[in-house]
Formats: sequence, C-alpha cells, structure tokens
Amino acid sequence: MNDIASAKVLEYKGKALQFTPENPAEAKIPVDELHEHLQKPSTARTKRLKERCRWKHASAGEFIEKSVTAGIERMRYLTEAHKASEGQPEAIRRALGLANVLNKSTLVLQEDEFIVGYHAEDPNMFPLYPELSHMAVQDYLRSDYSPQPADEAAAINEYWKPHSLQSKCQPYFDPADLGRMYQVSSMEAPSFASGYNSIVPPYETVLEDGLLARIKLAEKHIAEAQADMSTFPWDGTKGLDNIAKIDNWKAMVIACKAVISWARRQGRLCRIVAENFETDPKRQAELLEIADICQRIPAEPCKGLKDAMQAKFFTFLICHAIERYASGYAQKEDTLLWPYYKASVVDKKFQPMSHMDAVELVEMERLKISEHGAGKSRAYREIFPGSNDLFILTVGGTNAKGEDACNDMTDAILEAAKRIRTAEPSIVFRYSKKNRDKTLRWVFECIRDGLGYPSIKHDEIGTAQMKEYAKFSLNGNGATDEEAHNWVNVLCMSPGIHGRRKTQKTRSEGGGSIFPAKLLEITLNDGYDWSYADMQLGPKTGDLSSLKTFDDVWEAFREQYQYAINLCISTKDVSRYFEQRFLQMPFVSAIDDGCMELGMDACALSEQPNGWHNPITTIVAANSLVAIKKLVFEDKKYTLEQLSQALKANWEGFEEMRVDFKRAPKWGNDDDYADSIITRFYEEIIGGEMRKITNYSGGPVMPTGQAVGLYMEVGSRTGPTPDGRFGGEAADDGGISPYMGTDKKGPTAVLRSVSKVQKNQKGNLLNQRLSVPIMRSKHGFEIWNSYMKTWHDLNIDHVQFNVVSTDEMRAAQREPEKHHDLIVRVSGYSARFVDIPTYGQNTIIARQEQDFSASDLEFLNVEI
Amino acid sequence: MQAEKSLQNQPHTEAGTARPCRSCKWQTPDPTDPHRGQCTANRHAMGGVWKRWLRDVENTTCSRHEEGKLSFRDHV
Repeated sequence: MNDIASAKVLEYKGKALQFTPENPAEAKIPVDELHEHLQKPSTARTKRLKERCRWKHASAGEFIEKSVTAGIERMRYLTEAHKASEGQPEAIRRALGLANVLNKSTLVLQEDEFIVGYHAEDPNMFPLYPELSHMAVQDYLRSDYSPQPADEAAAINEYWKPHSLQSKCQPYFDPADLGRMYQVSSMEAPSFASGYNSIVPPYETVLEDGLLARIKLAEKHIAEAQADMSTFPWDGTKGLDNIAKIDNWKAMVIACKAVISWARRQGRLCRIVAENFETDPKRQAELLEIADICQRIPAEPCKGLKDAMQAKFFTFLICHAIERYASGYAQKEDTLLWPYYKASVVDKKFQPMSHMDAVELVEMERLKISEHGAGKSRAYREIFPGSNDLFILTVGGTNAKGEDACNDMTDAILEAAKRIRTAEPSIVFRYSKKNRDKTLRWVFECIRDGLGYPSIKHDEIGTAQMKEYAKFSLNGNGATDEEAHNWVNVLCMSPGIHGRRKTQKTRSEGGGSIFPAKLLEITLNDGYDWSYADMQLGPKTGDLSSLKTFDDVWEAFREQYQYAINLCISTKDVSRYFEQRFLQMPFVSAIDDGCMELGMDACALSEQPNGWHNPITTIVAANSLVAIKKLVFEDKKYTLEQLSQALKANWEGFEEMRVDFKRAPKWGNDDDYADSIITRFYEEIIGGEMRKITNYSGGPVMPTGQAVGLYMEVGSRTGPTPDGRFGGEAADDGGISPYMGTDKKGPTAVLRSVSKVQKNQKGNLLNQRLSVPIMRSKHGFEIWNSYMKTWHDLNIDHVQFNVVSTDEMRAAQREPEKHHDLIVRVSGYSARFVDIPTYGQNTIIARQEQDFSASDLEFLNVEI
Repeated sequence: MQAEKSLQNQPHTEAGTARPCRSCKWQTPDPTDPHRGQCTANRHAMGGVWKRWLRDVENTTCSRHEEGKLSFRDHV
C-alpha cells in the first residue's frame, strides 16, 4: 500500500522539493484510509450527535437509510386549513395554512441537541407539498417512503390536484413541450412539475428586529392604508391598490404570530422535559436555557450567539420546509452572526462563551442541517447523489466598504466544518486578495482534508455582477454599489443579494437546467431523440444531408438551443405568475423590508433581477463540435453520415474512428484550436442566446454552468457523442471543467483554457482534483495559495477541489462500511462517497488527478 | 428471426402484460411523471448505464424482465 508521502522529487528554482506530510504523524496512516482519521469533533457532545445523526442522503431516487419516510402532518393541516378558509383572500389562506401547521404539528426534541426545532412529526420524516406538484407526491405514494395512512395521503393529493401549482400552469403549454421537459434529458422539468425551489431568506430582519417589531410594522401599514381609503377625495385609480396590500399585511401578521407561538411551544416543551423528566442537572439547566431562548426569539431581537443560531434555524425551517419547500441554505453566515459572536465571545455581554464554544455551536448546526429532511421529488433525489439537499452557505469576501469581510466567526465556521466532517452544509468562500491569511489557512485546511469545500468564488466578479443586474431593476431599487458586495451563492453557483431586502425568493427567478449534450445529439438527428425517448425532442432543424458545412451544424444547434431555453424560462415565469396568486409566502414577505414597505408578496416583488439558468453537459457538446469541425469539415476524414452510422452503433465496429474522435483536440489543454471554438460556443450561443431573454424581473437571463449530479443522469440519457463518448457514459462534471481524464497538460493549462471564456456568463463551475501528497505536504499551502492568486488574476469565476486518492476511493468501493467519513466533491456539492452509486463513484475516480510540474509552479510563481 | 429476437429484447408495448416494466429490477421510475419509467438494462462493459425511456411502465415489457429491485448502488 502506498503511503501519503509522495516519492516524487521536483527540481524547482535550484531546489529539490520533496513532498513529505506537513504533519509527520500522518506518515503512518495508510493512504487508503486517510479520511477516517481526520474528524475531530470539538466536544464529546458533538461526537455523540454525529454518531446518532439521522442522515437523509439520497441516491438514484432512493433514501440510503431505511428508516427515512414522508410524514403526513404538514399536508394534513395545510389541507384542513385550505378547506376551512375557502372564500377568503388567497394570501390570508396561505397564512392560515401556515398557522394551522405550526399550531397543530408534533414537536420534536432530541437528546443532546442545543439548537431545537424540526419540520415533521418524527426526526426520520420529512414533509410533502401537494400544493406544488401532485405528480411528485404521487411518486412518493408509490414508493417505500409513502406517508401513512396512505389512503389519507392519497385523498389529500387528490384534493390538491385542481389547486396545485402544477395544474395552474400546465394548461398554458403544449403537452408535447411539457413531455419533452418532464424527461429531464434536454431540459430540466419546470418547477411547477417538480416542486423544486430555492430562496435566500432575509434572516437579517429576524435577528435584528424580531417578529414582534415586524407585526407592529404591518399593523401600522394596515392602519395607514385604511386611513388612506377613507381620505377625501377618493381616487379609485390608486385607492384600490390598498386592498391587496391590506390582505398581504394581514397575512404577514397571522404568519408572524404563528411563528412566535410555535417557537414558544418549543420552549414550553423544553421546560416540561426539564422540570418533569430530565434527571441530569446539567442538561436540565440547558433545557431551561433553551426554553428561555425560544420564549424570547424570534419574537424579540437576538442578543447573543445562541439566540442568533436558534432564530436562524427557526427561520430556515419556515422558509425552506414549512411555508414552502426550498432547497439551499443561502446566507452570509459569518457576516450575519458576527455581531452576536462579538457580543458573546469578544465582549461577553450576553450568553458569554469562548471561541471553542462557538465552534461547538456551529458543529451542532451542521449536524442539525445534516438530518434535515427534504421532501424533494424523485428527480432531485437522483441528481445530488450521496447528499441530502443543496445546503450551501457563503463566507469571506469583502464588505460594503470593499474591505476584507473575514472575521473570527468565519474561522469558527471553517474550523467546525473541518472538525465535524459532514458533507453538508457546503461552504462557498468569496475569494479576494484582501482576505486575511489566517482565514485563508482555514479554507486550505478544509480543502486539503478532502471536504470538497469551501468552493471558491471570485469576489469582484460576483460584486460586479450584482451591480450589472441592478441596472435592470423594474422599480429602480436594485442593489446599490455598497449592497452589491452583499452577495451569497443562492445554491451551488449563482450569486444573489443577501440582506434585509432584494434577495431571491423563488427559483422561478433563477435556477433550472438545460443540457447541451442532448441538444447536440438531436441536432445531428433533425431534432429526433433516437437514443433515449424515441420521440421528436426539439424542432426539425434539418437532416444530415442539409448540414453541408460546420456553420450549418452550428446554426442548427443554435435553433435547438433557442427552442429549449425559451421554453425553460417561459415555464419559470408562468410559475411566477401563479406563485404570487396562489402560493404566497406571508412569512417570507413579513421579513423582507421591501415586501413590508410595499405591501407585496415575496413572489411578486422583484427589486433586484437575478435571472439565471444552468447549462449542464456543455463540454461534451463543445468537444463534439470541435471533433466534427476537424475530422468531418476540415480533414474530411469522415462524413457526417459515417459519423452518424458509428454513433447509432455505439461505435461498435468503428473503433478506429472512435479513437480518432476521442483524440481530437479537447478542452482544458490550452489548445488554441479547441479553445477558440469552445470559447465562441460559450460566449455566442450558451450565454449569447440565453441573455437575449428577459425574465419576469426585467433583467437578462445568464448561464451559470454547473453539473451537480445531472452530468450522470443526463449522461445516462444521452447516446454516444462525437467526442468519442459511449452511449450512457457520464457527461462533463462541471460547468466549464474539462471532460474527465482529458485534461492532460496539467493544472495551469486548465486555468489558461478556462480563462478564455469571459463574455455573457454568470458563473461556471470548475472542478479540479489535486494530488493528496502535494496538498498534505509542507509545501501544500504555498502551492495552493499561489494557485489561487493566479486563478484570481486570470479572472476565473469559480474553482472547487477534490483532494482524495484513488486508493482510498477504491478501498471504499470494496468495503463501504469502513469509509463513512470519506467525503468527495461531486459538483457544486459534497457527498459521502459510499452513498453514491458505483456509476457516479467511477466518474470521480476517473477525474484527472492534477500533479504540479516545475513549469506549473513557475507559472503560478510559487515562492518556496 | 434476428429482428424479432431483437424486438423481444427491447422494451415494447404489450397491453396487460403479466411482466410489466414496473416490476422489473432494471426499471427505475421517470424523474417527473410516475406513470413513465426508465429502463437501465443496457449496461456498457466500462460501467456506463444507457437508459431508455418507458412511456407506460404498466404495459411495456421485454424478454429481459426480472422481478425485483436493484440497490441504489447499481443505478445512476
């Protein structure tokens, strides 16, 4: 068995560099079990919490843990309220629905936990959302995870059929178009069919103001509106606007009161357990402390770090799981918590604690998120294999003054992540050259421990993007230059504003995917999908005989792409139309300063446009175009007909031809031939065509290339492609990453290729796998730090790293039960390796493990 | 003969079949519409899984039908 130290000796600037572990003790650890030795929970309590964590990882549509199942309470109480509130304004019905769920649902309190609250009747359960998509619930009813009693669940789903978002939206589309989307091979299904959603909750108002203050504000607005309506002379052109506003404010009041009452109920439960059942005096005191916290917050402003963490978690549960489902964990956590960290850790004014106490609190938060249950549709139980849901928070970057935003809370968040080792929540670090070294070192420590996060985003690119989008604000109130610094990743990759207002509230603003590999495949078949669905999947853009030049192929692809992206965005906007009429979010509206001021629902108000859509599998399509141009139209070695014949045979009997296409120039090698075609493809078609579209918010829609697990799903639904790929093989695993194993010229060649794409992009995911011995050596930090500076100067949007050995992944495939702490970066999220299907595991093993040559170090200007 | 054999080998419509794709271990439900499905029987020697869409999981079958359910590890 290999050891962690590399035998490699590198001559660099007159020195012989050796890569022995920075920590000498690691030399004794077998390389194939390294990850099992890296966890170091900060306390015995977090160690216990991790050991009993109720993980809810899913893969291939199935939950890994057998005890996980859907609960019925949320759908039961929501339905009960919906029936009882018929005839009332829709916004108020939504608030009453939330209130009924919160008032009647079973509370969950678990041993050892300090952050309390859950969103289903059992910690192994998760809620369902029949008001979104009845198809998604139907799938659960047929599965092993059906809520019980099944008859009641089926009746509830039947009730919601005419009322669901799905049923409201479907009539506005051609069933043939929807059928194409539902397959998730050329386009992701619309959110009204899947129920998938994402949001950036304005946590700041809850922590800073408290909900009692929000109620007072809403009541003041109601009184003012009513006064306005009775003022002489009545003006019907304006006065009637008050009706919808009053309904919205009333709904906000109902929602906030219900949330306060629910939190206090949690507090009373803690008190009852402390006073009647708990025998350990220490835990008894702790439960009474939690009871006190839940009595005060989120009703009142937070005063210390414990308050803030609890208020944040309650808000998360409402915004992401109870009022409506939403994936994500978007927040600028270090900035958000810093005032409370300062009060508790630095000034010791309230809830005094040490830095390590803060670390423990973050570890507990991470475990709480790890056992959160998401009632996702089957598609989303497939496309983040090995993980729970896309829980992703952001830290670092610069503040409104343009100064380094890192603080000791940033370090606590990173240290906790390194110590507890959970796949989620993932972390995004906004990289700026102003960031302090101390924090950068923590970033590096997490990366080299193989967590796959933080993923790194370019701070200045994100800030400039927020300023650009602000120009399209329909109410002229987009992000100011200062506010443009306040951005986080909404999910894996796309920046969006965080703060008290202007945040993204629904995925109908940004999100969803389009799959260029499949579009390229059908481009070569007149829009017909022969390899998966056996149906016309796009417009008829001409058979092979009409594709006489490379430009003909290019333009035919453009037409397929235009059709698909237009459909994707129009389905989102139609969803938005109905969301604001039937899926109002009174609680989210109440905590947004804009909605509160204007009396608008959160789905309706858009102050900061943030339109985006994710092209996934772009590199398979792009490499295929390069191969076609070279071998068919320039070298004329093959005809398109011969290529088509070979593809239909899955290259069987055409091995020499396959090798030619496989060896054609590929992305990621700083090859001008490939890169010039591919850069044009990204800038002119993928981004250029997409940005011609204007969405609900008035801004352009921009591409955010990122694969999540869809590179596997779509790969398995895509036939053989002209890049030499076999039918069913995975596609490219990033947004702009080279295809696995084809980047042969080292890590800096990858950076040079990627840096060529600059126009018409919102974000592009770059997946890189770095050598374990080099990263764990005493030179690891210097090399990584220099890499990051170069990456920054090349103006690249994103990069994320796997630092995990093939030996260890192979060992985990052989004996999964021994490798529960092996975490890998899939794409945009991290996962527990042993919870990923073998197909997906193999794609991670196949990624090029980047070594560093002397010329790479020179290019990076590494000082050793 | 060869063509017929090949047809039997691939998912095809057979109304009221006693061996529907829905109960087959190679089948996995459609990501969006529970009335549809995906066949995963076509597996490449290199580990690739080339799926085929199934319009109607109750009334489609083929000669490779096998009752059961694969582990998540064997799917995509």
